[in-house]
Amino acid sequence: MTAVASSIPPTWYLLLASAVFCIGLFGVLTRRNVLYFLMSVELMMNAANINFVAFALYYGDLTGQVFALFVIALAAAEVAIGIGIILVLYRNFGTTDVTVPAEMRW
Amino acid sequence: MVNGLPGVTALLPALLLAATGLALLLVDTVRPDARSNTSMAIVGAIGSLAALAATVWLTASGGVSPDGGAVSLFADAIKVDTLGLFFTAIFASVTALVLVAGHDYFDDHTNPAAFYSLVTFAATGMALLAVANSLAVVFVALEMVSLPSYVLVAYLKQNRGSVEAGMKYFLVGALSSAIFLFGISLVYAATGSLILADIASASIEGLTGVLGVGIVMMIGGVAFKTASVPFHFWAPEAYEGAPAPVSAFLSSASKAAGFVVAFRVFTEAFPLEMAVSANVDWMLAFAILAAVTMTLGNFAAAVQEEVKRMLAYSSIGHAGYALIGVAALTVDGPANGTVMGAAMAHLLVYGFMNTGAFLFVAMAERWGVGRTFADYAGLWRRAPVASVAMAVFMFSLAGLPPFAGFFSKYFLFQAAIDNGFVWLAGLGAINSVVSLYYYSRVVKALFLDDPASPSALDAIDVRPTALYAAVVFAAVATVLLLPGFGPVIETAEAAASALF
Repeated sequence: MTAVASSIPPTWYLLLASAVFCIGLFGVLTRRNVLYFLMSVELMMNAANINFVAFALYYGDLTGQVFALFVIALAAAEVAIGIGIILVLYRNFGTTDVTVPAEMRW
Repeated sequence: MVNGLPGVTALLPALLLAATGLALLLVDTVRPDARSNTSMAIVGAIGSLAALAATVWLTASGGVSPDGGAVSLFADAIKVDTLGLFFTAIFASVTALVLVAGHDYFDDHTNPAAFYSLVTFAATGMALLAVANSLAVVFVALEMVSLPSYVLVAYLKQNRGSVEAGMKYFLVGALSSAIFLFGISLVYAATGSLILADIASASIEGLTGVLGVGIVMMIGGVAFKTASVPFHFWAPEAYEGAPAPVSAFLSSASKAAGFVVAFRVFTEAFPLEMAVSANVDWMLAFAILAAVTMTLGNFAAAVQEEVKRMLAYSSIGHAGYALIGVAALTVDGPANGTVMGAAMAHLLVYGFMNTGAFLFVAMAERWGVGRTFADYAGLWRRAPVASVAMAVFMFSLAGLPPFAGFFSKYFLFQAAIDNGFVWLAGLGAINSVVSLYYYSRVVKALFLDDPASPSALDAIDVRPTALYAAVVFAAVATVLLLPGFGPVIETAEAAASALF
């Protein structure tokens, strides 16, 4: 554990993670382009990673760090699936705007 | 118990499902141009039935642990117990039915191989989810279920409805899994562990608020998987747009997978006493969600004109009933195990009757008779057996006395009353009455109404044998669960009681 990292109280990490999470959530709720949506969700998952890594350091426990690696892999898989769906969406509707496809009512 | 077997044998159902999925991929890789639709369906069905047989064998023999109890593997990250095996049985049964039905549904599809392997891989994730004993495994398994599901919903690439449904399902799913993950990270921040039992025993100094927010966010993730309020709105879209066998899979198996998370994680990681003393009363949250979910689902279903959309809302309503299993819990409540066991039994019965109902819709889509109640008018003249099966599903879903759906609901409401949740049981009963209205509309259309025109039923010219077999088998299972309900509810209650 480096001196700098351990001198920062864990609350700060929580605040940073919450801020990143909220920025992501804001993007999800306001952006209409589905690619921005993907980036925002990525921010939200990485906010969780900040918590995992920071508190792994705080507790001196490797579980959080290892799980953060798992999350990175899963996030990549999710993006891969998401891009595939966006591709067929674009082929069928000619747009990446989430509000345009309305074959069924919400 | 079975002596002399390594502990990993307890994971046999999940391993069999994974091997089946890989075998299907291998067949498709070796012979990419041959459309081996039939052999794929056979391999998939055999694999999932083998997983079901392994599950039943493990349950009946008392598992592979020396004392007949749970088997812990991988440093406690996985715990195979009766609860997990019970849910695995639901997943394997539904998977088998869906794969068999998929044979006819994707008969003229250019590449049916992906359908079979994706369903099997999702089922593998569910089987893993059922035995997950660590939040890390829970999240990985949950994604293993979700990712194939997104693709399956958007499987008909040329069909705008299917693509739109897949996109909406993906958007809500990605959002809710990020929220769920952040919830896990907050729980880790507060307790310093991801293993359920260690979370429960961790001392939380001054971080109760963080833990509380984490628990609320995890409830959000569960609500998405089970299609409950507030993350229910994807369900009508996804179920309506998706190919009907996929809707059957999602609304039965995937929903049950969400409930296994709720049942195990919340009772093991956040025990009732701790929840009350730390003022994070998740039982109350679930009680409110259950009440809102069942009311919203049933009343919205009553005003639908399309059968598939009605079934989608009805599945939201049933999620509300099953949520009673985690809502009607009190510290030292006399019926804690009973109410959760009854919810599990309801999910098993629901697995058969709801899958069957969606597969009937799949058959109607295959015939091309249309989607609304009016389009189903007089179908029994051309398809008497399937129509009788559909009537069985409808009455069982509504909870009419001679069918299995009645007993599971009766036990559920009775146990809720025993635990002092009379209002929840009463609300459930009122909702069941509402549901009888829209379920009987289907039966009325099938048997009593005349077709719109004499030629309206001429579309029924194909005989989807496998789809027929799956529907009839689901109906037989729904009826046979009636005499077999005793062992089912006993197993479920014993499994649930072990959690408290």
